Formats: sequence, C-alpha cells, structure tokens
Amino acid sequence: MLSELKELWRFRELLLAMVERELRIRYKNSALGVLWSLLNPLLTVVVMWFVLKTVMQNNTDNISAYILAGYLPFLFFQMAILDSAQSVLAALPVVKKVYFPREILPLASVISNLIHFVLALAVYLIYALILWGVTGFKDFPVKYNVLFLPVLLLVHVCLVGGVSFIVSALNVFYEDVKYVVSVLMYLMFFLTPVMYFSETVFYAMKKWGAAQELGFFLYHLNPVATLITAYRKTLVAPGKIQVLDDGVATQVSPLAFNWLHFGIAVVFSVAILILGYSLFNKLKWRFVERP
Amino acid sequence: MSQPAIKVEDLRKQFTLSHSGAASLKTMLLWWKRRQMETHEVLKGISFEIQRGECVALVGRNGAGKSTLLSLLAKVYKPTSGSMAVNGRLGPLLELGAGFHPDLSGLENILFNGMILGLTRKEVMARTDEIVRFAELEHQIDSPVRTYSSGMLARLGFAVATNVDAEIWIVDEVLAVGDYAFEKKCYDAIDTFRARGGTILFVSHNEHAVRRVADRCIWLQSGLVHADGKTDEILPCYLTDGVSEL
Repeated sequence: MLSELKELWRFRELLLAMVERELRIRYKNSALGVLWSLLNPLLTVVVMWFVLKTVMQNNTDNISAYILAGYLPFLFFQMAILDSAQSVLAALPVVKKVYFPREILPLASVISNLIHFVLALAVYLIYALILWGVTGFKDFPVKYNVLFLPVLLLVHVCLVGGVSFIVSALNVFYEDVKYVVSVLMYLMFFLTPVMYFSETVFYAMKKWGAAQELGFFLYHLNPVATLITAYRKTLVAPGKIQVLDDGVATQVSPLAFNWLHFGIAVVFSVAILILGYSLFNKLKWRFVERP
Repeated sequence: MSQPAIKVEDLRKQFTLSHSGAASLKTMLLWWKRRQMETHEVLKGISFEIQRGECVALVGRNGAGKSTLLSLLAKVYKPTSGSMAVNGRLGPLLELGAGFHPDLSGLENILFNGMILGLTRKEVMARTDEIVRFAELEHQIDSPVRTYSSGMLARLGFAVATNVDAEIWIVDEVLAVGDYAFEKKCYDAIDTFRARGGTILFVSHNEHAVRRVADRCIWLQSGLVHADGKTDEILPCYLTDGVSEL
C-alpha cells in the first residue's frame, strides 16, 4: 500500500487539476453557477423546516439551524459517494489508454464535493450569525466547539473516501451497484438524525427499559449517525430540544457529546478507508479488462 | 550501448472472456458456481530489446497482439507473467486526445491532458504556446473542444502528446489522421524526435509509414515474435506471407 501512496503523491497535481476540472464542468453551462450547490440544500432545509416546525409542531430552539447542521454533512456523504460511484466507469475510455493512478478518479469526486461542503458550512455559519442577530438565538452561535470541526471533517472524509473506493471499484464490474447505493442512501437518510435528533431516539427508546442504553448504542454504531450528531454538537449552540417523552412533548437539554460513540465512528471510518483502498488497489488493474 | 530503452522478457498476457456481455450482480449470484471462465492468451511469451535511438515498427495481422503489447508497455494493463522494463520517460500515443472533455476549452484540455501524460502544471504552462502553434489552433483555442472538427482534435492531441518531453514514444496507428499537410508535419516531428536520439515503437498497417520511419521490424503472429530484423528484410516477407495466408 505504501508504494501505491507514493505513486499517488507523485500525481498529486493531476488530482488537483481533476478536482478543478470537475468543479468547472459542473458549472460551465449553468447561469447560476456555484450558487446551485448552495441553493439546493437551502431549499431542502426550508421544506424540512416547514414540515418539522409547522406540520409536526416541533418547538425546538433554532430548529432551522439544527436541520441545516445535520443535512449538510449528510448531503456531503450522499453526493460524494454517488458521484464517485460513477467516476471510474465514466473515465473508462481514458483509463484504457493512459496510465495514471486510478484512485485519483474517486478521490477527485470526494474532494470536489468536500469543497462544496466546506462552502456550505461557511454559508451555514453566516446563517447562524444572522439568526443570532435577528431573532435572538439563545447564545452566540459560534463557540470554541467549532475548533473541533477539522477533526470531524477528517473523520468524515476517511469514511466517505473508504466507501467511495469500494463503490467506485465495484461499479465498474457490476453496474447494479450504483442503484443499490442510491437505495441505501435513501434508507440511510431515515436512519440518521437529520429530520429528528439523537435525543429523540434516546427518549423514544425509554420504553424499552433496560434495553434503552443498548438500543441507543446500536443506533450509533452507524458512523454516519454519530458524525451527524457530532456536527450538531459542534455547530449549534445548545438550546432546548423538543422530544416525545412517554408520548408527551417535552423540552429537554441536549445530551452531552458521547466520546464512546465518536471513538467507534473514528475506528470504523479509518477501517473502512483502509479496507476500501486495498480493495480498490486489488481491483484497479482489472478495470480495463472489464467483461 | 548502455541500458536498452525497452526490454521485454517472456511477456505473457491472458484475458478472461465473458459471453454474457455486461456483467451484473444477478449473473454473478446466479452463476457463481457454474461460471466457467474462458481465457484467451493474447501474448504467449514475447522477448525483445529495443536500444536507445532505435525506431521499431510492430507489424502483424489483426489480433496478433500488437496493441496489447503497447498497452502493456504504457502500464494500462498488467502482464500476466514475464517482465518488462522501460528506461526513460514514456510518451504514450495510443489514442490522441484521450481524456479531452468536450465542454472545456482547448487550453484547459491541453493543461489536463498534459498532466495526465505526466507533466506538472508548470511544465504544461511553459509548453502551451508551442502546443497551440503546432496544432495550428491559435484562433480556436479558447472555444470548447466540442466545437472542434475531428481533424482539429487529432492535431491538438498529437501536439500535446509529442510535447511532453518523452524519450520513448509508443504510437498506435494514430498517424492516419488529419490532412496531408498535417501528416507531413507529424513525420517531421518524428524525424526531429529521432534526430534528438528518441526511441520509437509503433504499430502501423501502412507499408509506406513503416518504410518511412522504421529501421527495424518486429513481426508478431498469434502472440509470438515471428520474425525480428531490418525493415528491408522483414517487411517484404510480411507483405507476401501475410497476404498469402489469407
């Protein structure tokens, strides 16, 4: 693996050029350009906010910020993996004619989506500041917690990168993979705390009695769920969260950051990255010989 | 002479054949036990050496393994067994303009294509003018390449591929593009390259191209080296034998 990484480093400029190219192509023929990558999540969040706040009558403080802080990381996970699923297959004509480290292809998809995500996070912070100024957001939204953001991003990129390696390599041989992945992404949306809170899960499991802690732990074995919760704790100043406690709507304080869950997510993410990269390296020479 | 530019020893390449066409999870799950992989050996143990400054043509009928051999040297395929060593920077001209993106301008594509061929950003930037001049695209270089004609694309591809400071060119039948004037320009580029001591290994079905460029021929037949020697000796045999075989 070390020699593969060395080779990748030798081609780092190509990787950057490919990221640049991907960003350029995406917005080349559209009038609104880069705004699209921000407009889409914002519109989605407006709808979610309407559903949660008005339809479901949830009175959580700063709920729009909460949704945004959960949806943006989920969107990065989803878009980066769906993009990279296609990356190798789409570049097959080049792959058949020129040598370059093939891992550059999914990596370029991951990095260009990461750039969108970071841009979106910047927009989020501006939004939170406006919210604080206009509507009396309880505390100043940007806290020292934000310093934890780079760590979160790093873990997140490991996870996304690992899954992208696996998905992009398998999709060359079995094109069903991208359909399976898009279905799984859809399901994953409901299994991660975007439209609800990890606190909602915790209180909902209360009626399980002794199994509550175990259930809550199992739910967070999903590194995406843990990461989204962690983003929320990092990005949104704690207010009161409205959950159903024994069927009654109750305002509760957010749960403390769970280091055990986060530690497991870190181990999972790194393991998936190593596994994904070695699988990709094992399969990459067979891409050109695809039946 | 010192190290050979290309050294190939007992090189073999096997492909797995699939009759089902595109693979899918379904076929894999349904047939995973019964699936019999048919293999096809394209190269059956090839050995040769090419010295620096030599210009060698690969001749042989379709399916003899010429393109596979070039792809192996370009590191696109991995050999099944055997060894090969390439000493010097390789300029693969397997397909001109591989990786051109239709929506990007000629200039952007030059940068990207040059980097795919192993240059750094700086190195490509320094060569851009020369590439544009060679491709004769001074006026269209800022337009997206989807607006280019196939001749323009080929010129741009050739211009990039030949300006990456390679010491060894491997060329797969790409000279048969463009008009007569451009063809002459390509041959001039090849002559200049050879005069500087460059090594060329190329595949061509064009008798005149072979005579014009190559001083040595390697004749591949069914994945084996059938004959190897001076162009004057090999080419006539190939032309008579290859045809009578039909």
